[in-house]
Amino acid sequence: MSPRRSMLERIRHCGLQVRLIVPISAMLVASILVVSSYLIERQAEGFMHTLLSSGERVVRVMASQAESGVLFESTFELQEMLNDLRSLEDVVYARVLTADGRVLADYGQCDTTEISRTSKIVYPGELGEGDNNNHSLVNTSGVRFVEIVHPVVYHTESVDRENLGATSGTDPSGGKSISTEEIGSIQMILSLENVNQQAVTARIAAIVLALVVTILSIIVMTFFVRHLTGPVKQLASVTQRVSEGKLSERVKIRRHDEIGQLAATFNKMIDSLEQSRNEIEDYNRTLEERIVERTRELNEAQAQLIQSEKMGAIGQLAAGVAHELNNPLGGILGYAQFALEKIGKVSPETIGQKDIDKYLRYLSDIETQARRCKQIVQNLLRFSRSSHAQEFEVIDLNCVIDETRTFIEHQMSMNQVQLRMDLDPDLPKIAGSAGQLQQVLTNLLINALHASPPDSEILVVTRCSPALGEFGGTVEIQVCDHGCGIAPENLMKIFEPFFTTKDVGKGTGLGLSVSYGIIRDHGGEIKVESVQSKGTTFTIILPVQKAQEIPIT
Amino acid sequence: MTVSGKKSILIVDDEEIIRDFLFEVLNDDYEVILATDGDEAIQKLENRAYDLIITDMKMPRVSGEEVVKYACQNHPGSRVIVISGYSSLYTVSQSVDNGACAFLSKPFSIQKLMETVAHCMEEVG
Repeated sequence: MSPRRSMLERIRHCGLQVRLIVPISAMLVASILVVSSYLIERQAEGFMHTLLSSGERVVRVMASQAESGVLFESTFELQEMLNDLRSLEDVVYARVLTADGRVLADYGQCDTTEISRTSKIVYPGELGEGDNNNHSLVNTSGVRFVEIVHPVVYHTESVDRENLGATSGTDPSGGKSISTEEIGSIQMILSLENVNQQAVTARIAAIVLALVVTILSIIVMTFFVRHLTGPVKQLASVTQRVSEGKLSERVKIRRHDEIGQLAATFNKMIDSLEQSRNEIEDYNRTLEERIVERTRELNEAQAQLIQSEKMGAIGQLAAGVAHELNNPLGGILGYAQFALEKIGKVSPETIGQKDIDKYLRYLSDIETQARRCKQIVQNLLRFSRSSHAQEFEVIDLNCVIDETRTFIEHQMSMNQVQLRMDLDPDLPKIAGSAGQLQQVLTNLLINALHASPPDSEILVVTRCSPALGEFGGTVEIQVCDHGCGIAPENLMKIFEPFFTTKDVGKGTGLGLSVSYGIIRDHGGEIKVESVQSKGTTFTIILPVQKAQEIPIT
Repeated sequence: MTVSGKKSILIVDDEEIIRDFLFEVLNDDYEVILATDGDEAIQKLENRAYDLIITDMKMPRVSGEEVVKYACQNHPGSRVIVISGYSSLYTVSQSVDNGACAFLSKPFSIQKLMETVAHCMEEVG
């Protein structure tokens, strides 16, 4: 099983050249062998045929000459006739016999036992009617001698009507018939030595010729096959090297046939491969630099965006803050100037209670408005200070919400949106950054405002869950609007950085992401529920820490 | 010009302290009428014309811009002064385009206010 398989494997792995040469050579050798052996056999038969037919002719001629010799038993005449056989080298023995078997004359020497053992006897037909077909019966293989026997016939001419047609020889001219009588025979033995020798020589010549033709054919064929398979081999080896990455290799075939075309196409393919690889290598070389560069740019852009989100959060407040501050300042400045002007015009003598009341009212207004300014500035300071440092303090969420309200209430009323508060007065204090939580609330409220249609309402609710054992309880802030809502496909993304549905330039997409981070830093959670065209509710849950756990900074 | 011979001023501001202060300053020389927001101002403008209108920009519901537009369209003889605590350049230029003749940024001095008012009244004639 395994040797056969390995043989098959070996054949399968043979080169194209071997696969072509071996079967063609085998076919060539086989056909030359068949043809030459056929020709050799035909030639041997030819030699034999020539020998036998010439021998038969000689015997037939001698039989007709010996008619009188045998009839009169003239030994001398017969001996003379046999002696003429000297000139024929193939004749080894000949004799003339009477009908009763007496030898009248003989020629040559022969061991009769050998003759009877090795020869075949040929019986030709009637005198003068040589039937060549008889010779085909002769099988000469391994036989060294052949014996030809011919009867000696005595011819008598007679008119015999009764016997007409009974004899073999007939004369169609009339009643005359020629009757024959066998009076003896001539026996001749031919040697096949020469014939066999000739056959062997011819066989050797044929074999030599066949060998020469075979070798020449194989040489020519090998050359031809090499000429055909050489370029294919070269293609294969170049392909191998190219597949190993040596793209500088090229097929060196300059021909105009299909193989030449294949080589040209293949070279073109390697050209474009090499070009592509060079491009890729170039690209790879610069890619790393580019990645570093882009990463740096991205980091910068991110930092810038985070900064601009911070600035945006402050900027959103700026309008409200400016408005809030400038109104009381306007009152303060106006009343102060007004009072100065009025007081400058009156003298202590003429000043009346009415004037004093008026100035007191001015001063009281100035004081009230100045306190309002102070409050606003304090809120703003707390916002900006806490934005920079992660300073947790004990804070009252209701107060944080109230302060946030002062910043955005104006924007709310601008958009004709009501801000309604439902704050739990018993809300426990929590640890946190008032400024950061204010940022989150501002963000949620501004988002709610942007989503809300005019004359709608935004509701801010606070409530708490009581402490239970290790669980310190939670406080919850809800911001509900009745706006357009958030599309379900966006609901999962709103806390991702840079996600925004606002127009370019209106939102950075960082507000909710930053808010998420702030709430997480507070150990809390922020979640959202939204129904499209019904409204959105953001819920912030913050843990209440026990008083001793709150780090006071 | 009213029966009293004083020129009339309509003051529109949602901020009480500003309204009161402007009334206090201007009431001696002019007939001063107050409106607490844009809605009320337009209602008052529907009834009669004023020589001068002083209006805040940012107000709930109807903004100062609407007031400016309404006044200039319906009372071309009136003059309008815009006052604002915080306004973008765009809204101010928009108001000027709509016909406002002066802009005062809060907080403003009495002197500046009086000058601006006097200047506008001169134009009214």
